[in-house]
Amino acid sequence: MIDPTLLVQMVLGALLGLSVYLPLSGGQLSLATPGFYAIGGYMAALLSTGWPALGGAAPLYPLPSLLLELGLAGALAAAVALAIGGPVLKLRGIYLAIATISLVEILRVLNLNLPFTGGAVGIFAIPQPFSDPAGYLGAALLLLLLVGLLCQRLEGMRFGRAQAAIRDDELAASCMGIDTARVKLTAFVISAVIAALTGVLSAHFLNTWNARQGSFDASITTLAFVVFGGSRSWLGPIAGGLALTAVPELLRPIGDLRLIVYGLVIVVGPVFFPQGLITPELLKGLARWWPWRQREAAP
Amino acid sequence: MQQRPPAEPLLAIEAVSCRFGGLLALDAVSLQVQEGEIFGLIGPNGAGKTTLFNVISGLTPPSGGRVLWRGTPMSRPSPERVNRLGIARTFQNLRLFDSLPVIENVLVGLHHAARQPLAGALLASPAFRRRQAVLRSQAIELLALVDLAELADQTAASLSYGDRRRLEIARALATAPALLLLDEPAAGMNPVEKDDLCALIDRIRAHFALTVLIIEHHVPLMMRLCDRLAVLNFGERIALGTPEQVRHDPAVIEAYLGGQP
Repeated sequence: MIDPTLLVQMVLGALLGLSVYLPLSGGQLSLATPGFYAIGGYMAALLSTGWPALGGAAPLYPLPSLLLELGLAGALAAAVALAIGGPVLKLRGIYLAIATISLVEILRVLNLNLPFTGGAVGIFAIPQPFSDPAGYLGAALLLLLLVGLLCQRLEGMRFGRAQAAIRDDELAASCMGIDTARVKLTAFVISAVIAALTGVLSAHFLNTWNARQGSFDASITTLAFVVFGGSRSWLGPIAGGLALTAVPELLRPIGDLRLIVYGLVIVVGPVFFPQGLITPELLKGLARWWPWRQREAAP
Repeated sequence: MQQRPPAEPLLAIEAVSCRFGGLLALDAVSLQVQEGEIFGLIGPNGAGKTTLFNVISGLTPPSGGRVLWRGTPMSRPSPERVNRLGIARTFQNLRLFDSLPVIENVLVGLHHAARQPLAGALLASPAFRRRQAVLRSQAIELLALVDLAELADQTAASLSYGDRRRLEIARALATAPALLLLDEPAAGMNPVEKDDLCALIDRIRAHFALTVLIIEHHVPLMMRLCDRLAVLNFGERIALGTPEQVRHDPAVIEAYLGGQP
């Protein structure tokens, strides 16, 4: 039986995968997810340990306080993403990747050195809203369900179609009257909010938060979720996030070799599965066994 | 030559120049396209025809001059704003959304027609589904117009060359333009396909009350199709008039056949 703690980590991984996936499905290689994840985590850690009115001293941290943290973290991440998204999203391809990695690094260095983030040690004794991992699993699964449904709906809307068009040919998309800057910014902001919400849950779950939570390594790890799982359907990053979080934890003895595994996935994965595990063909094949799928696909 | 009474032109290009480094791709080109006409743009390779299209569609800022749409100068045009004004285009080098099904390519063109309340779309409300069904049938109609309805579910990349050219036209038409810019729509087509294309352009012009600005190398096709023609050579407009006038213009003969010694 898999340890419930690992299951929580897997679901959080799937959420981060979706966060990377949203810009990527519009052709934007943004690696900013760990930065917003860190913002969410620090928001939760600072509020719950530093603001007694939220009920941090209680045996169980009150759920309304958790919801407040989620709201504030989402809003802050959205504001940051809106502010930097305009200029950053003018960059294309690898340049966007480099700029977003820089963003993650800037946030990491800030978090190390700001007077109130606890330096390299970070913030300890973050209060627990749930008494056992099953509670976290429920909360994380609920969030994954909501975010997954959101992604599924977005793909069926004109927003999803615009994203696909931009991915294939941004210039042609703009000549079809699509405000490409706006579509890209929207995806970037939603991606940031997903990452921040995941960070809030993660901070409580881990009980401690520090600057290592949002690093360059995490950028690559979360990208691997999407590359491995597939970037053509919202199910891809979920599959990739679940699988790639589980495998290295089960292979814990190999220690830092995990990073080599991720590297290998990014290098070797596209050779053998150019579209990742979950491909449109696979979904079409599965659709025959899925009674509701047909009506969903052809509205 | 007596054109129609001087109604306001749909599109007016006033002394548009375009310089890329040392190359003057367009040299103070002026022309006016009247509503409802098929206006042809011909000229040797490198004459600046596609550059002019890029200026009109907001892809390339002109170095000088201006473009007026229905008498109003376009201010800071971007491709999406130009498209919203009612100008749609196709591309000489085909820029379809290759990984998407044929019908999705057309649905991208229907982007603005597809605007719907966000809540309904997120919840897949019945109203949203009905509207989606209407959009799909509109897309199928457009595909039927260019004889591609049967291939609606194939990916765009799998289409033959001529089919891809016609899909680009359907996709452009989906944005509900008043002016359609066709950049070498007959390139790579065989004579039968070219005839069909001629008929298609006539058909869509009547069906959508369109004005068409067309670049094409195949001169006989242009002579047959166009109401008026402009000839570009080395970035300069060297002739303008009806096909008959252009055919006998000495400057045109010189550009195409070389000057007499």
